[in-house]
Amino acid sequence: MNLKDPESMNAIIGKVLRYGVILSAVVVIVGTIGLAVSQGTSEASSLLNYNASSIPHDGIDVSLSGLLSGLASFSPFSWIELGIVVLIATPVSRVLISVFLFAAEKDRIYVLITAVVLALLLFSMLVTPSIPGFHA
Amino acid sequence: MFVLEFILFLFLISIFAGVFGSIVGLGGGVVIIPVLTILLGVDIHFAIGASIVAIIGTSSGAASTYVTDKVTNLRVGMFLELASTTGAIIGAAVAAYTNSAALELIFGGILLVTLVPTVMKIGEDIPKSPELKGLSKRLGLTGSYVETNGSLVKYNAEKPAEGLAGTWVAGILSGLLGIGGGAFKVLSMDLAMKLPMKVSTTTSNFMIGVTAAASAGIYFARGDVDPLIVAPVALGILIGASLGARILLRSRNATIRKVFAIVLAVAALEMVLSALGVSV
Repeated sequence: MNLKDPESMNAIIGKVLRYGVILSAVVVIVGTIGLAVSQGTSEASSLLNYNASSIPHDGIDVSLSGLLSGLASFSPFSWIELGIVVLIATPVSRVLISVFLFAAEKDRIYVLITAVVLALLLFSMLVTPSIPGFHA
Repeated sequence: MFVLEFILFLFLISIFAGVFGSIVGLGGGVVIIPVLTILLGVDIHFAIGASIVAIIGTSSGAASTYVTDKVTNLRVGMFLELASTTGAIIGAAVAAYTNSAALELIFGGILLVTLVPTVMKIGEDIPKSPELKGLSKRLGLTGSYVETNGSLVKYNAEKPAEGLAGTWVAGILSGLLGIGGGAFKVLSMDLAMKLPMKVSTTTSNFMIGVTAAASAGIYFARGDVDPLIVAPVALGILIGASLGARILLRSRNATIRKVFAIVLAVAALEMVLSALGVSV
């Protein structure tokens, strides 16, 4: 695959998106099957009964350590969460790879544009959730 | 309702949402949010969290096909993402200090107004392409794609600054409300930049995943992304988006515009009704 060929840029970005989506779907399916087997005949409302006014909502563990220990103990919710994290990471990976693809094309304006988008994206995803004023 | 029924129902609805969302470039939220809040009685916070996941799923699921088939204009998309991500951060920063009902009324009203030029352009299949000049030329905002009849359609973008401004508004709206950004992206490319309808909706579809990912961190941290809700939504959306992408590639621009006009009207009404206190 010739990186300087604009045709292959589309092919590579297309593949990044496709693989990200497939990986995410597989992990979510694993979690969903686990959920259906373990709690399929419970009342859905009993699992949806969170306190919406407290943040994070009571009963939902959003911490990284919570996710890791859930994965280790095969908690279906944690596996679904991991799949969703992969899904969210897919467009981010696409922007990251675009920076290198534009660099291979020696397209300086677009290397700059995509690098700025990547920086804004990472700032928004990783930094803003910990700034109190950003809690809508 | 049992967990199994709940999962199956949301899965099927999400396939439908993915098909429409990927064709019109809005993501699946327009369908997912009212289904969750009205039919299933889910709190709006969880509905918006699910909508964010639906938007990212529609975007990546359909874009893999659109990008490989070169309908999406990568440069237009990346250029406009500068504005949408900046807008999303500003929107999220001021969201706590705004009245969401007033915002929904304003933006819903604007979308209703944009129905007029959208409907007036119904029937237009391939727009007359402007000459490539100025900023558009410098940024290479030009492209071509193969139409359903096998002909190569070449086009150039007009008024990139206006497109950037419109996309900025789209980003602010996504950051403020978590919804509605896609419509302003399509309208910016369609009405200001004069791109063919397919290019506008698929390039919007390409961008909405990045805008939604920008605010996903906040929704995740708040606990709005509920695994029980988002699992069937993500799986259904991914299947629907890959179906929708195939349908779009076989459809004419004029057809896509008609579908877009209908979904735009629904999205605008949803926002206005929600603002007026009708539970949507």
